[in-house]
Amino acid sequence: MGEIRVGKYVILDDRLYTETDEWVKLEGNTAIVGVTDYAQKKLRDIVGVQLPETNREVQAGEAVASIESVKAASDIYAPLSGRIFKVNDELALSPELINQDPYGKGWIFVIEMSKPEEKERLLTPDKYIQTIKQREGL
Amino acid sequence: MRFETPLRRIEEQIGANFGEFAGWEMPMSYGSYRVEHLAVRTSAAFFDLSHMGRLKVEGDPREFDYLTTKGISRFKENEMTGPQAFLNDRGGFIDDFMGYRVSEREFLIVTNAINREKVISWIRRNSSLSVEDLTFKYVMLAIQGREVWKSVPKPELDPLRFVMNVNFLGVNVFLLSRSGWTGEDGVEIWADPSNAEALVKKLIELGVRPAGLITRDSIRQEMGFVLYDEDIDENVTPIEARYWIFDLDRDYIGSGALKEQLRAGVKRLRVGLKAKKGETKLPRHGQGLYVGDTKIGEVTSSTHSPYLNRVIGMGYVSSDHFFLGMSLEAETRTGRITVKLSDFPLI
Repeated sequence: MGEIRVGKYVILDDRLYTETDEWVKLEGNTAIVGVTDYAQKKLRDIVGVQLPETNREVQAGEAVASIESVKAASDIYAPLSGRIFKVNDELALSPELINQDPYGKGWIFVIEMSKPEEKERLLTPDKYIQTIKQREGL
Repeated sequence: MRFETPLRRIEEQIGANFGEFAGWEMPMSYGSYRVEHLAVRTSAAFFDLSHMGRLKVEGDPREFDYLTTKGISRFKENEMTGPQAFLNDRGGFIDDFMGYRVSEREFLIVTNAINREKVISWIRRNSSLSVEDLTFKYVMLAIQGREVWKSVPKPELDPLRFVMNVNFLGVNVFLLSRSGWTGEDGVEIWADPSNAEALVKKLIELGVRPAGLITRDSIRQEMGFVLYDEDIDENVTPIEARYWIFDLDRDYIGSGALKEQLRAGVKRLRVGLKAKKGETKLPRHGQGLYVGDTKIGEVTSSTHSPYLNRVIGMGYVSSDHFFLGMSLEAETRTGRITVKLSDFPLI
């Protein structure tokens, strides 16, 4: 696993990304989802997470969770269609895990994919780096 | 263009995340506002407040009295006035500020960052007082905390007193005052940028934690202190804000309107809000407060209090609905939450 730095933002090369700043780590027929280091830095201190219910069927692009920070509230979108297989219950008590470890302990939910071919639409680390560079004028 | 604190470089070295506030790039947090907030409430922390407008006003104290809700004449040299305000003739806030009496004809004021230029031109327009902007000449630091004197030496100063051109922690400072805006004890310091940088290094050595403006915001909300443009503005009076910082025994701009409002009563009043433990949704500025379908007020500020471990805030309710202690509903982006109308301070 390699770490790439774009300005002050960290991007990992072992996963895929979305335009809405989620990361997706594929493991077999499941996908672990969280928000990127860029997203958590923009949101600043996170004070609450509303998690989806497990077993809920979701469509790619559907808002399924939301994050509340001192700055704003923002939606987390399902990057892929499928069933919510697991959620990170620890975030209910310790939402700051997303700030502290966005790519690890701050994971949000796991989807069991129903349309694995949708992953072709996700951004590669290189594409996501370009997106961040453009937004930040780097 | 954005202004930048002269301490940016050293603050970056000690882990500050920068963000915009009132046109300034300032440290928002140093990793975790919870840790910083709890440091203020249990030990000590320091803030960079260099964004705050700092003005030197010179002239006849009676002229200054006429512009301000508490005046300056009755304060002695080296005494601070506490928070007070400039009002418009409707009694609305031009700004709330802190005053310092330096000498017979020389006063210092600390304005909200967002009002610095407005205040300068308002004073000039309404008086013959001279105004010099010292904001860019000095850095302002606040060292605050429940156990602050365990980390820094306690100066020989009573609360709301100040001294000038003294040595503090081995560094020459322009102004040292026993004051703050946190509800805890501490000092505030004005120093030129290089001395301020030396002071920051010293504070780090002493184990005083740096804190950012997010903590400043959560701390002041616990105390029920207002923030200009969020909780007060030119259309709100100190009576509606329940911000008792005005004299009634003399005349000044806005005093007539205040007296009239005290006679006639007000339509709305500021109130504190507390959500239940475990609630994670924040009602934001401008969102409604409801009893059933009836909107009775609006939220003006909110945050998550790390000290109470719950969502808190403040807002205004119609004075017919000033039901302290009652739980009602606040609108959030994703549905209503229950909040209890509470008096200040919230801790």
